[in-house]
Amino acid sequence: MSALITITILALLLLYLGLFKAKKALLPVALIGLMVALVLSLMEWNSNAAPIFSDMMLYDRFAIAFSGITIFSTILIIALSKDYFERISSNVAEYYALILFSLAGIILMVSYHNLSMLFIGIEIMSVSLYILAGIKKRDFASNEAALKYFLMGAFSTGILLFGVTLIYGASGSFDLEGIKQYILKDPTAVSPLLYTGITLLIVGLSFKVGAAPFHFWVPDVYEGSPSLIAAYMSTVVKVAGFAAFLRLIMFSFAPLQDFWIPMIIGMSVLSLLIGNVTAVYQQHFKRMLAYSSISHVGYMLFAIIALNGSSDNAVFVYAAAYSVATIIAFGVLILLQGQVGNDSFDSFNGLARKNPFIALTLTIAMLSLAGIPLTAGFIGKFMMFSRALSSYHIFLVVFAALNAMVGIFYYFKVIVAMYFKEEDRKELIVPIYFKLVLGFSALVTIVLGVYPDFIASLI
Amino acid sequence: MNLFYFVAFLSVFFSLLVIFSKNPVYSVLYLIVTFFTFSIHYILLNAQFLAIVNFIVYMGAILVLFLYVLMLLNLNKESEPMKSNLLKVVGVIAGLCLLLTVAGSLKLLHVSDPVLLKNPDIGLVRNLGKVLFKEFLLPFEVSSILLLSAMVGAVLLAKKDITKV
Repeated sequence: MSALITITILALLLLYLGLFKAKKALLPVALIGLMVALVLSLMEWNSNAAPIFSDMMLYDRFAIAFSGITIFSTILIIALSKDYFERISSNVAEYYALILFSLAGIILMVSYHNLSMLFIGIEIMSVSLYILAGIKKRDFASNEAALKYFLMGAFSTGILLFGVTLIYGASGSFDLEGIKQYILKDPTAVSPLLYTGITLLIVGLSFKVGAAPFHFWVPDVYEGSPSLIAAYMSTVVKVAGFAAFLRLIMFSFAPLQDFWIPMIIGMSVLSLLIGNVTAVYQQHFKRMLAYSSISHVGYMLFAIIALNGSSDNAVFVYAAAYSVATIIAFGVLILLQGQVGNDSFDSFNGLARKNPFIALTLTIAMLSLAGIPLTAGFIGKFMMFSRALSSYHIFLVVFAALNAMVGIFYYFKVIVAMYFKEEDRKELIVPIYFKLVLGFSALVTIVLGVYPDFIASLI
Repeated sequence: MNLFYFVAFLSVFFSLLVIFSKNPVYSVLYLIVTFFTFSIHYILLNAQFLAIVNFIVYMGAILVLFLYVLMLLNLNKESEPMKSNLLKVVGVIAGLCLLLTVAGSLKLLHVSDPVLLKNPDIGLVRNLGKVLFKEFLLPFEVSSILLLSAMVGAVLLAKKDITKV
């Protein structure tokens, strides 16, 4: 709760700073405020949380862990934003404020205890993102991304809301606990309305996280939006959507496993296949990242397929590894787009010779995304696969392992281009903020990979 | 009861006019009147809030928006899209599906038990306000963030950029 209040007030404060032309203060204030929010939310770790505001919100360890990781990723992304928004227009304060508003929505999404809160959280997040996707007003790709995202998002929210209504019709409650009690009363004879409602909710949420077959907006939107916003969408927003998904299913729908598990398995297999196979054919780094983010959703869905008490842990570790590595990748992408103006794989040629530090961090990120041992990504994949194996989904794991090998192929394309293809090029100028974020993220990736106990049994 | 039949007759009459008028602008105008009669129905049913929402949001906002869109589209004979045979077949199938659904639901229709409605004042604004400011206080307050972010965004997107001319 205190994190939510801090973030909202911070956003208002930034708007006022923008009003009084205190441009220099924006970034430091945003960073400090987010750190305060992070600390405040972590301080509630040991308070035995109970639902507050007549069961609207439950800021339990699950919520703290996921809001922690989303706030943390936002700090890293905002740190990359130095001089980024200024190039787009002069309304810098509003951009920061919108990012923070959407973060406030995300806090609601990970801590809701009532479907109405879930809906409002998703709406706050999405509305801010529709705007952020289109902030390059004169760029047609950005306009297209904003419009596409808006239409898709509006439809998916409509579907989600319809699902919520049907569930209310069946169970007479918006409350997660109330829905659970209704299902537990007689799991074999629940109303058919509930099944339809669950299906629609799953469809709506998979739109938001970009799981196949509801993924078709992802590549265009990520490619068209400004890279910094795309980084935010593919890390923070995706993790938040997943946390909301997991919370709903763990809290309420666990007794009806037989109904929704086949659906989730189908989505997972499709996401893995489409994400990985299409990513191989991409010529541009940003589009490759978009498709790879679809495939990562496929891996994360494993935790829901093999649902038990520690699924949240598995998702948490995976999400942490994925977010940190993706932030590195997008950070390098922003540098490259700003200074080379192109993000095809050829533009990475010879980067290792001129910018060894950048090349090293990007290599670590790619290894982590591919799931090579001693990086965080490996631990994430390992936890997911062992979850799925423990519930005897052997074919699924074999399929996923094959897909992971395909993944290694396209992630290594970048590394090969950087280290083994020679080309005369200018050295990229790396601002100090970038150095800090990239170095720190790479360090986190390695530390999590070597010593995963650090966060692996937190929740 | 007489009032109900009168208003019901008006609703049916105007909704038929919506379909049968040739000019789309007239159609939308008749639709506004139809919705107005719906609002009267809601008041007759003691549902103040629905009546007001229907009046403000549907009649006031959405249909006026429709009207603007129609005017901007500049519909006339030349720009009317071709009505292919396939489209007609699709229309017939969709219409029959609707008819089937309506017929099926009519078959299940029965007079509701008037005792069932325990609280006849449930649709009053006062009761809604009580729920909104007690159980649903947090979502109600948090919606303000949603409205604020939408407002900031709308201004941001609509404002002219001074720096890049």
